[in-house]
Amino acid sequence: MSIVTDLLAKPGVIAAGEYAYRGDRFSYRGALTEEHARMASIMCRATTMGVNMEGKMLEVFQPRSGLQPPRGWMVHGADYTVCVMANVFCMLDNARASINDIVGFMRQTMANAPSDLI
Amino acid sequence: MATLDELMRLPAAMAAFEFRGSGELLDQRIAYPERINETTLDLLAHMCAANMSIATMQARGWEKVTAMKGFYPIQEFTLVGFDWSVVVSGFRREQIKSEGKTSLPPLMGVVLGNEKADYEAAFAVLEGQEPIP
Repeated sequence: MSIVTDLLAKPGVIAAGEYAYRGDRFSYRGALTEEHARMASIMCRATTMGVNMEGKMLEVFQPRSGLQPPRGWMVHGADYTVCVMANVFCMLDNARASINDIVGFMRQTMANAPSDLI
Repeated sequence: MATLDELMRLPAAMAAFEFRGSGELLDQRIAYPERINETTLDLLAHMCAANMSIATMQARGWEKVTAMKGFYPIQEFTLVGFDWSVVVSGFRREQIKSEGKTSLPPLMGVVLGNEKADYEAAFAVLEGQEPIP
C-alpha cells in the first residue's frame, strides 16, 4: 500500500496526497475536490521549499545544529491540522486524529526520503 | 499562560523561547547549549514568526475559498527538523485579541528532541490547557 492509502486508513485523516517538488504533478485521496487538493498541494509545496531554504540559512549560521535537513512541518488550527513530511501531506480532524501517531508514522515511513527536493 | 520554565519540563525539551511577532528573540532557556544556542534561537524565532504569518494568510484564504472552517487562526506552527522540532504558538495572543485587548503577550516556542517529542502535550501547554506532565 502507498503511504497515502495508509494515512487515509488512520483515524481522523480526512485527506492525504503527494506532490512533485518541481510543482508539475500532485495526487490525492480523501474528502477534497480536485481543485481544492491542487491548491492544498501548491501551498504545502511552497511552505516545504521555504522551510528548506530557511534550514539551509540556519545551517550556515550554526552548522550541525540538528535542524538540517528539515523533515516536515505542521500547522495546527482549532479543528484541523495540516501535516507535511517530505512531499506527502495530510489533513487531520483534531477531534479524531492522534497528531503524535501521524507524525511518528510519517517520519518513520519517510525516513529515507531524499532531501534534495528533486 | 505557560512560562519558559514550564515549557522546559516537557519531555525532550531542549530549549524554550519568547519572541515578538516580528521575530525578535526576547528571552530563552537552553538545556543543551552545544546544540542550540542563542544565535540558533534568534534565527529560529524569525523563521517561526514568518511561517506563522504565511500559514495564517494561507488558512484565511483556504477558508474563504473552500468554506471549510477550523483552520484559521493558526494556533501552532511546528517545524520538524532532522534531530529536533520547534513548536511555536500564537494561541494566547489570539485569545487576548478576541477579548478586544491591544497589548499582546509575546509568542512562545519550544524545541523538542524528535525521538521523544510529544507534540500534543506541547500544544496543550502552550495553550495553557493542561498542567505540565
